[in-house]
Amino acid sequence: MSQFFVSILLILSGGLLSLFLIKPTKAAKIIRVFSISLGCFLGLLDAGTKLMQSGSDSVSFEFLKVFSLVFRIDGLSAFFLVCIFLVCLLATIYSYHYMDGSKKPVRVAVNYFFLSILIVSMALVVTAVNIIGFMLSWEFMSLSSFFLVIYNYESLKNRKAGYLYFVFSHVGAMFIFAAFGIVYGYTGSFGFSAVEAIPETAKILIFIFSFIGFGSKAGVFPFHVWLPYAHPAAPSHISAVMSGVMIKTGIYGIVRMYSLLNFHTPIFGYIVLIAGVVSGILGVVYALGQHDLKRLLAYHSVENIGIILIGLGIGMIGVSSGNPLMAVLGFSGGFLHVFNHSIFKSLLFMGAGMVLHKTGTSSIDALGGLLKKMKITGTTFIIGSLAISGLPPFNGFVSEFFIYMGAFKGILLDKSDFAMAILAIISLAVIGGLALACFTKVVGVVFQGEPRTKAAENVDEKGSTMLASMVILASACIFIGIFPGIFIKMSMKAVSALGLEYGGIPLEPFEQMAKNITLSASILFVSLFVVIAVRFFFYKGKTIRKSGTWGCGFTQPTVKMQYTGSSYASSILEFFRPTAPLEEEHPEIQGRFPQKTYYRSQISDVAELYMKSVIVRPVLFLFDKLRWIQHGDIHLYIGYILLAIILLLFFI
Amino acid sequence: MFESIILWFFSIAIAPFFSAVILKIKAFFGGRKGPPLLINYYTLIKLFKKGSVYSNSTTLVFKLGPIISLGTAITVLMFLPIAGRPPMFSFHGDVIFVLYIMGLGRFFTIAAAMDTASPFEGMGAAREAYFPIICEAATFMILIFFYRLTGELQLSSYFTGNNTMAIWKLAGAPVLFIVISFFIILLTESSRVPVDDPATHLELTMIHEVMVLDHSGPDLSLIELGSFCKLFFYSTLISRLILPFDFNIPIIGYGVYLMGLILVYVAVGIIESIVARYRMDQVPQFVLTSFALAFFATIITLEFIK
Repeated sequence: MSQFFVSILLILSGGLLSLFLIKPTKAAKIIRVFSISLGCFLGLLDAGTKLMQSGSDSVSFEFLKVFSLVFRIDGLSAFFLVCIFLVCLLATIYSYHYMDGSKKPVRVAVNYFFLSILIVSMALVVTAVNIIGFMLSWEFMSLSSFFLVIYNYESLKNRKAGYLYFVFSHVGAMFIFAAFGIVYGYTGSFGFSAVEAIPETAKILIFIFSFIGFGSKAGVFPFHVWLPYAHPAAPSHISAVMSGVMIKTGIYGIVRMYSLLNFHTPIFGYIVLIAGVVSGILGVVYALGQHDLKRLLAYHSVENIGIILIGLGIGMIGVSSGNPLMAVLGFSGGFLHVFNHSIFKSLLFMGAGMVLHKTGTSSIDALGGLLKKMKITGTTFIIGSLAISGLPPFNGFVSEFFIYMGAFKGILLDKSDFAMAILAIISLAVIGGLALACFTKVVGVVFQGEPRTKAAENVDEKGSTMLASMVILASACIFIGIFPGIFIKMSMKAVSALGLEYGGIPLEPFEQMAKNITLSASILFVSLFVVIAVRFFFYKGKTIRKSGTWGCGFTQPTVKMQYTGSSYASSILEFFRPTAPLEEEHPEIQGRFPQKTYYRSQISDVAELYMKSVIVRPVLFLFDKLRWIQHGDIHLYIGYILLAIILLLFFI
Repeated sequence: MFESIILWFFSIAIAPFFSAVILKIKAFFGGRKGPPLLINYYTLIKLFKKGSVYSNSTTLVFKLGPIISLGTAITVLMFLPIAGRPPMFSFHGDVIFVLYIMGLGRFFTIAAAMDTASPFEGMGAAREAYFPIICEAATFMILIFFYRLTGELQLSSYFTGNNTMAIWKLAGAPVLFIVISFFIILLTESSRVPVDDPATHLELTMIHEVMVLDHSGPDLSLIELGSFCKLFFYSTLISRLILPFDFNIPIIGYGVYLMGLILVYVAVGIIESIVARYRMDQVPQFVLTSFALAFFATIITLEFIK
C-alpha cells in the first residue's frame, strides 16, 4: 500500500503547491502539472501490478480514536484505480496547455487544488473498506467536483449547473447513507465484513437504496438530470475526468454493494438490466437531439453507463440462474466497458475542449470543416467516435462483443431470464445504431463540410500537451481493439475479486475470444490493404482535378445550405417522439420578399420534465408550508436540537 | 480452405453479374430489351479507366469512404458460407463481428457523404443512418431465433452442410417468417425498392445513390463493387435458406445454390417492377415488419420447441 499512498501524497502536494505558487510563471505551471501527473503515473504502475497479482493489500488508520479508516486494494479496486489514474494522468497533462490562456491565475491555481483533491478522493473511494472511510472520501469527491464545475461562476448557467449537481450529489449521498444506515443497524459495525449475514428482505432494500444513491452519481436514467448541465459547465479536462472516471465510482459502488451483499436473487439483475436499457436508449436519443457538443457528449455518458449496466445485469442474471459463463462474460464485458469508456470518452471531451478552446463555441451547428485545420484533433476525434459507436477494430467493440456473448447465453434460459436477454440484445443493437447516427452527425457537422460561421474559420490546433494526450488515448483505442488479450485478463481479475465461486472457470474460451478479435481485425486490415493497393494501381498516372461540390445544377451554393445537426437528427427523433418531446419554434415565411427567419428546436428530457412536476413542486409546496420553522431565532433552534435529542433518547 | 478462397474470389467476381439480372427483369416488365447481362462489368471497367474529380470541400475521409466500404464488404464475404460450404474464417460470435463490420462501412460511407458539404448528400446520409438502426434490431432478432434453435453464434452453424435443413426440421413454418424478414432486410440494406430507388433521377428521393454523387472514377467503381458484394451477401443467405438441400456431389450443390441466387435476384427485380417506392416516413414501418416477423417466429418456436 505504501506506493499507493506515496502517489496520493504526490498528487496532494501538487495541488497544495499550486495554491502557494499562484504567480503563473512557467516553473510554477510545470511543477503543479508534473507533481500531479507523476503521482498519477506512480499510482497507475502500482495499481497495474496489483491487478496482475492475486490477493489484496490493506492498511488501517485510527481516526479521532473512534473511527478507524481501513483501505484495501483488491482486484476490483485495482481495476478502477487503473482507470482513475490513467485518465487523470492524461487529463492533467492536457490541462497544461488548456489552462494556459486563462487570465485568472488564482482561479487556475484553485482549480488544480480541487483537481488533486478530486483525484485523491476518487482513489480513496474505490479502496475504502469501511463506511466511515467510504463516505468521507465520497463527500470529498462530490464537493471537490462541485467546485470544479463552477469554475466559470460568473455565468448564471454554470452556477445553476453547479447547484443542480450539488443537490443531486447530496440527495444521492442521502440514499447511500440510508443504505449504510440499514447495514449498520443490522451489523453494528462500520466494517463491511458482516454484511453477508443481513436478512434477505433487508438486503433487497439496501441494494435498491444504494442503487439509487450510486446511480445518481453514475448518471443512470432518471437520476442523470445533473449530468448534461454539469459536464458542459466544467473546463474540458475536468469534464474528461468527471465523465471518464468520476461517474464510474457510482458503478463501483453498485458492484461493490452487490458483491458485499452476496445475495444472488434475479431481482438485482433485472433492476440493473432494465435501468441499463432505459439509460442506454434514452441517453443516446437525447444525445442526438443536442445542439451543444459537450452536452451531447454528456448524454453519451448516460448511454454508456447504460451499456455497462446491461453488462452487469447480464452478469447478475448469469449468477442467479447458475450460468457461470454468462456471469463472467457479462461482468467482464461491463468492466471492460468501464475501462474503454473512460478512454474514449475522455478523448472525446478533450477533442471537444480543443474545439471550444480554439473556436470559442461548442454549438454544433455553428462549426464545420474543422478537420482541414485541426488534423490531429479531427483524426483522434473520429477514432474516438468509431470506438464509442462500438465498431471494430476499436476498443468499444471488444466490450460490447463480450456483453453480446453473455446476453446470448441468456437466450437459452427460460421465461423472464430469456425475456431479459432478448431485451439486452435488441437494445444493445439499437444503441449501437443510434450511437453511429449520433457520431456521424458530430463528425459530419463539426469536422467535415465547410465552416458555417466565422468562428470555425482560421483555427489552428496549437498546444502540444493537449495533442499528446489525445494521440495517446486514440492509440489506446486502436491497440485495445486489436490486441484485447491483456485487457480482458485485467477485467477477469476484477471479476474474480467479486467473490463469486468461479475461481475454477477455464480461461481458454476467453483467451480464444481475444485471439478471434485479433484475427478478425487483422483480416479487416489485410482486406483494406488490398483495396488500397488496387486503388493505388488504378490511380497511377491519372489526372485528378479539384472542383466545387456537385450542386445538382444549382450554381450559387452557400455554406448555409449544408445539412445541419438538427436536420440530420430530425427524422430519427421523430421516431422516438413519445419519449423525447421536441419543441420547435419557427415563424411562417410570408410574402414575396420574406423577412429573415429562424428555426429553434429543443429536445426535452422526460426525466427532467417529470422531476419538475412530480418531485420538485410537491417538495417546494411542503417546505413552503413548513417555512414557519425557519424564523432565525437562535434560542428556538437550540430548543429544536434539545427536543430532537430527547425524542431520540426515548426511542433508542 | 482452398475451396473457400476460390469461392470467395468467385463471389466477388460474379456479384456484378447478378445485379444485372435485376435490370433485365425490370426491362422485361417494362417491355424493353434491357441492358446486356454483363453491363455492370462494362460500367466498372469504364470507371476504372477514368480519373477523378474531387470537391474542394473534401478531406482524406472522402477518399477513405470507398476504400472502407469495399474493404468491409469483401471482409464480410470471407465469413460467408457460400453454397453451404464452410467459409474462409469462422469463429464463435463471427455474426456479431460481421454485422459491426458492416456498421464500420456505413460509418465511412456517411462520413464521406458529409464531407462534401452538399445538402443532398447530407439528406441521404441522415436516412442511411436512420433505417439500418431498425434493420440491425431485426437482424439481431433473427440471430436470437437461430441461437435459440442451435445454441451457436456463427454463420457456418446456420448455413453450412445439413445445418440449414436441421433448422427447417426443428422449427418448420416459422423459418418462412425468417425468410421474409431476411428479404426485407436485404431490400433495406442494399437500398432497393421499396426503401430506396437506385434508378431514380431525383436526388431528393434517394438514399444510397445520393450519397455517392460526388464520387467519380475508380472511387465510384469501388463503391459500386462494394454494394454488389453486399447484395450478394444477403442473397446467398436467403438462397441457402430457401433451398437448404445438401448433396454429396459438389456440382449439384453449386447448381442448386445458383438457382436459389437467381430466384432471389428475380424476386428483387419483380418487386422493383411492380411496387413503388414508399414515402420516406413509411419506410420505418416497412422495416419494422421484418423485426416483428422475426420476433413472432421466435415466440412461436418458444412454444412448440421445448
